[in-house]
Amino acid sequence: MKTQRNTLRLLALTLLTLLLSATVSAQTLKLPPHEKVVLKNGLTLLLMEKHGVPIISISAIVKAGAAADPAGQEGLASITAGLLRKGTRNRTAQQFSTDLDYIGATFSAGAQDDYTAVNAEFLAKDLARGLELFSDALLHPIFPKDETDKLLAQSLDEIKTAKDSPGSVIFEYYKGYLLPNHPYGRPEGGTEISLKKIQRESVLKFYETHYAPGNMILAVAGDFNAGEMRKKIEQDLAVWSARQVSPSTIPAPEPAKGRRLLLVNKVDATQTYFAIGNLGTAVTDPDRVTTRVVNLLFGGQFTSMLNEALRVESGLTYGAESFFDAHKMPGPFAIFSYTRNETTTKAIDLALQVLDKLHKEGVSTEKLASAKTYIKGQFPPEIETSTQLASLIARNEFYGLTDDEVNQLEAKLDAVTPEMVRQAIQKHFPGDDLVFVLVGKASEISPAVKKYAPKQDSLDITEPGFWPPPAKN
Amino acid sequence: MNKIWFRTILLLLFSAPCFSLPAGAQQYPVATRTLKNGMKILVQSDHSIPNVALYVFYRIGSRNERPGTTGLSHFFEHMMFNGAKKYGPGDLDKVMEANGGANNAYTNRDVTVYQDWFPRSALNLIFDIEADRIRDLNFDPKKIESERGVVASERRSRVDAENTGILNEQLWATAFLAHPYQWPVVGWMSDIEHWTIDDLKNHFAMGYSPSNATMVIVGDVSPEEVFALCEKYIASIPSHAPPPPVTTIEPEQMGERRIVVRKPAELPLLDVAYHVPKRSSPDFYTLNILRTVLFQGESSRLYSRLVDKDQIAFSVEDNMISGFDPGLEEISIQPKQGVDPQICEKELYEELQRVARELITDTELQKAKNIRLSEFYQQIRTINGRANTIGTYEVFFGDYTKLFDAANNYSAVTREDVQRVAKMYLSPNNRTVATLIPETPENQEKAKQ
Repeated sequence: MKTQRNTLRLLALTLLTLLLSATVSAQTLKLPPHEKVVLKNGLTLLLMEKHGVPIISISAIVKAGAAADPAGQEGLASITAGLLRKGTRNRTAQQFSTDLDYIGATFSAGAQDDYTAVNAEFLAKDLARGLELFSDALLHPIFPKDETDKLLAQSLDEIKTAKDSPGSVIFEYYKGYLLPNHPYGRPEGGTEISLKKIQRESVLKFYETHYAPGNMILAVAGDFNAGEMRKKIEQDLAVWSARQVSPSTIPAPEPAKGRRLLLVNKVDATQTYFAIGNLGTAVTDPDRVTTRVVNLLFGGQFTSMLNEALRVESGLTYGAESFFDAHKMPGPFAIFSYTRNETTTKAIDLALQVLDKLHKEGVSTEKLASAKTYIKGQFPPEIETSTQLASLIARNEFYGLTDDEVNQLEAKLDAVTPEMVRQAIQKHFPGDDLVFVLVGKASEISPAVKKYAPKQDSLDITEPGFWPPPAKN
Repeated sequence: MNKIWFRTILLLLFSAPCFSLPAGAQQYPVATRTLKNGMKILVQSDHSIPNVALYVFYRIGSRNERPGTTGLSHFFEHMMFNGAKKYGPGDLDKVMEANGGANNAYTNRDVTVYQDWFPRSALNLIFDIEADRIRDLNFDPKKIESERGVVASERRSRVDAENTGILNEQLWATAFLAHPYQWPVVGWMSDIEHWTIDDLKNHFAMGYSPSNATMVIVGDVSPEEVFALCEKYIASIPSHAPPPPVTTIEPEQMGERRIVVRKPAELPLLDVAYHVPKRSSPDFYTLNILRTVLFQGESSRLYSRLVDKDQIAFSVEDNMISGFDPGLEEISIQPKQGVDPQICEKELYEELQRVARELITDTELQKAKNIRLSEFYQQIRTINGRANTIGTYEVFFGDYTKLFDAANNYSAVTREDVQRVAKMYLSPNNRTVATLIPETPENQEKAKQ
């Protein structure tokens, strides 16, 4: 393959695209019409008709995610989400799966930092059954003890197997090392230690605290009639009684000062994976369109400054990129790449030079124009399906963003000036204060990477948890 | 998590289902034309977004390679982005992106596929770029060396840094003794290090005749304008002989084969594979129904038993990869921590014997058909998905209209058919087993002595 969208890249693209997503008329992007209703029990309902393919997509957001995990019980929001389908008042886990699979439907639930996303999709002809299954999982989970234990054990194995692939865990180390004292620094999936402290009672409590109609956004997009759908959902979900929920608050994280470096040893590594950066931006940052343009040029597209330097011109790596993992509060920004053990410092030096070049030289007007055209040209397929649209409107609602994110995208891009670019670079892209995280073969690379930071930390990938190392009792 | 080379797109293709072809595909007819140089063009207009997906399928892949130059098709794929006559090194990507377009490509054992995604305003430009590199590709020695590094890094990230990648590579190398499907699409590392400029030139001459390619365009275009552009840019590119036929036939496997990989790892892994017929075999659809019953969804037989009920595995997945020639049904099991992979193996075989011994239930059959129908809609809901699906049917089944027969082919599958193919293909003598055993570095050192 010419290029690969790895885990980090996917994450970054998802975040960046969702930030700006929409649908499309011939010349200007415009979201298809959709309606918003707040039901009596407090549930925010968003409905968007999208015909053509007989699919219905549901995207629900519960306004509490991994950042709401109690300290020491990282992974609780994920486990709670994962258990929704594992036994309800009406079905065992097995029955739920059988009924779901029988209509070829899908159901998934998982915790991100700011919220929990619960998604379902089914054919339009199966609307009644699909919706009933979705609400059964959301409203009536009973969290059976045996299923809880089973999922906890599986999640432990999931962490272990992820550690066999450095690319899939480096970001867990990176965000922990960047934000050791902030909820955004914790692993959403938990650690080998924290999962052992989660019990059925804590799951029940998390569900009761956060899963309530007033704390939820439900977006439905696809092949249906909005009026009928609204009635149907009111019937199915109105039984869910209103409940007082105190919204979860997240403190503002602090950027790292100075330089520090964490080396995670993986004895059989033939390549070093590295992430470098500092704190980035929030989803609703006023400069978000400009920052997106700059990041595209710096490390977001194939011909970005980073990919040109590390891949195209030098052949040091299969890919180099940068991304903002934006949340309600500012989240991490990172430069990410990998290269063979012997060229570790060569690649990192080059990445730092490119960052320096961004600050010193900025981007040319020609490149600026190219980036605007690229974003406009690549945007329509990101809002082509009901899945994409349901997820987009739910997320916009959660972050308090309006349809202008889409409808005004072209105008906002056109309005980006070189001066705005200059300011965004200065404000949002790190300078000398940098956090480095490397996953690689310590015995081969450790001496050479000492030059990057006065403060150095290290651990082995086989040690439980990520960073900071979890307390063991 | 099986064949990463195929992950983005071919996973969908290789299980290509479709039923009564409702909405999506049928409401947009496909127009076709064969240019005088032999390249076939398929066009589907869809104006719902102002974008276009253009896919060019070349019938050349790692099956057309030889020992010593394995991985060359994939390396060549990279070189197709590194400069031709009009658009020199680096120009293709820069010009395309500046005009709102993006691209990628993938190589597998059978084909090399180039993908362009762009706003319709870039239509002329894309044809100019595609024609330039098909007609006048250039090989800059400096670019060859830097791209060699890129591909080596790609191999390290997909094989060295992924246990599934290592095990799968060795599984195929063991399951095939004679046929070229035995080597990895990315190539062995020593071959990556030794390809020459002449290898690349020979490969271009062998595989890149316009007559060896099929172009599929779906999106905000009309067939007339596309055909006019094809006449202007592509039709005059001369054709030549296609790649020599691959004549090697893998001899029938006459007994189980087993291999072990020992390396540092957190958890063991188990891959089990069975030879299956080529894509266009009449058993293709029945095998897909069988796979669905066994592996797809949390109510599938293997997930229910190994992951849910007996809790000996963390995941059970399968993937059927076959193309112009017979390939493999691969089953990949991640045993749970502390579970001997052989226990997983035993339970897997019990389930495979059961499905060969007893008929599946009517409910299971219907469920599998429903899942396939749902998947079909997922595939055709985007212009990219349709470009890929139409091209795949055209290339692997010889005619894109076979897409419309698939509906009937799936509904015709009976419980008896499922039992028959289970007996025929999932037998112990047809099996290759690869196990990854985690080792500490200390043990590994000792084992070497």
